[in-house]
Amino acid sequence: MITGEYSIIRTAESDDAFEMGRLYDPAYPRACLLDRKRELLVPTMDELRELLARKDKLAGQLQVIEDRAGNARGFCALRAAETELNYAEMVLMLFEESSYQSPLADEVFEYFSRVAFVHRKHNKLMAQCLDGESAYRAFLLGKEFRSDGVQREAFFSSGRWHNLESLTRFRNQE
Amino acid sequence: MAYKSNVYFRRAEREDLDTVVAWLDDPDFLHFLYGDPTRSPKQIRENIVSMLGRTVGQTLPGAIYLIIESPNDGPIGLLSLQNISWRNRSCSVDLYMGNKKYRVGLTAGLAWMRAIEYCFDELNLHRVSAYVYSFNTASWRICERSGAVRELTLREHVARDGKLYDMYCYAWLREDFDRLRESMKDQLPGKSLADMIAAWEKSAASPTEANP
Repeated sequence: MITGEYSIIRTAESDDAFEMGRLYDPAYPRACLLDRKRELLVPTMDELRELLARKDKLAGQLQVIEDRAGNARGFCALRAAETELNYAEMVLMLFEESSYQSPLADEVFEYFSRVAFVHRKHNKLMAQCLDGESAYRAFLLGKEFRSDGVQREAFFSSGRWHNLESLTRFRNQE
Repeated sequence: MAYKSNVYFRRAEREDLDTVVAWLDDPDFLHFLYGDPTRSPKQIRENIVSMLGRTVGQTLPGAIYLIIESPNDGPIGLLSLQNISWRNRSCSVDLYMGNKKYRVGLTAGLAWMRAIEYCFDELNLHRVSAYVYSFNTASWRICERSGAVRELTLREHVARDGKLYDMYCYAWLREDFDRLRESMKDQLPGKSLADMIAAWEKSAASPTEANP
């Protein structure tokens, strides 16, 4: 458990399934939740419990973000790519859009930045966002992420196409 | 024009395996192969061979692997359509020309065209993408000439021989491909999949009129 001034970051457990389920809102799709085919499969509560109960590498990466009062504010993860690629993908999903402008989000990013660039010595951090995730995108740009481009009409949901943007921040920007 | 007068795709047969395995021993194959280069040749071989064995006979396959065939030289390359999403109507394409003779010239370009055409006209997809390393100049030039849009430039994304290289993501939406097809109509008459099937049907109906 990492305790900061504004946030607590801890490994997600099966008891967090309900909070995790809040992220799967079809009206507000998040790029982080799309699978390799860019599909959003909404899991059942049982499936989420099962996922979060796993003790393997995949489940261990998922962490809960709480405020200092112990209220869950979102989830985060650092997905390392293959060794050759030398980068990690940052996942930061906060329940409230306004939270991306809070010191809590800044603190979580500082933590991930340190883990990715200092401890794991990755070359770059990547992140993705759908065209509806404007608050997350603004947050990433504020952290010196730069756009790599936009994949047009990569995801279909709620009767329309969504564009998917990739953003990168390099270690030497530290 | 006879149906086999040009490059076409077909499912892999057992007899193709020796040819495909020989391509896998080519250093170029590993150089351009996406993924972790520390995988052993045995792992890569098993992976490719098992991919080719998968069937496209399912109604909604998640991936399709096909042999690229030339009527003169037999199997000349591999086509893989991966991450096929039937919700998003999208997929990603990888094309490898195993026979080096066909890497330059029109054949590789036609193979790409035919692959994209297959995705839009037969699979009814909406979006087709291809990830290409920046050092694979021949491939990304074909993508650009065939109407794809370079959507992503992933900087310093792949390591080869101790250096970091960029990776590009190219994509065609159906409208991009329709535009290309319209512009190529007069330049490559008879080269579309539909034209070839029509020619084949005609030659099957009256074999004596078939072209050699």
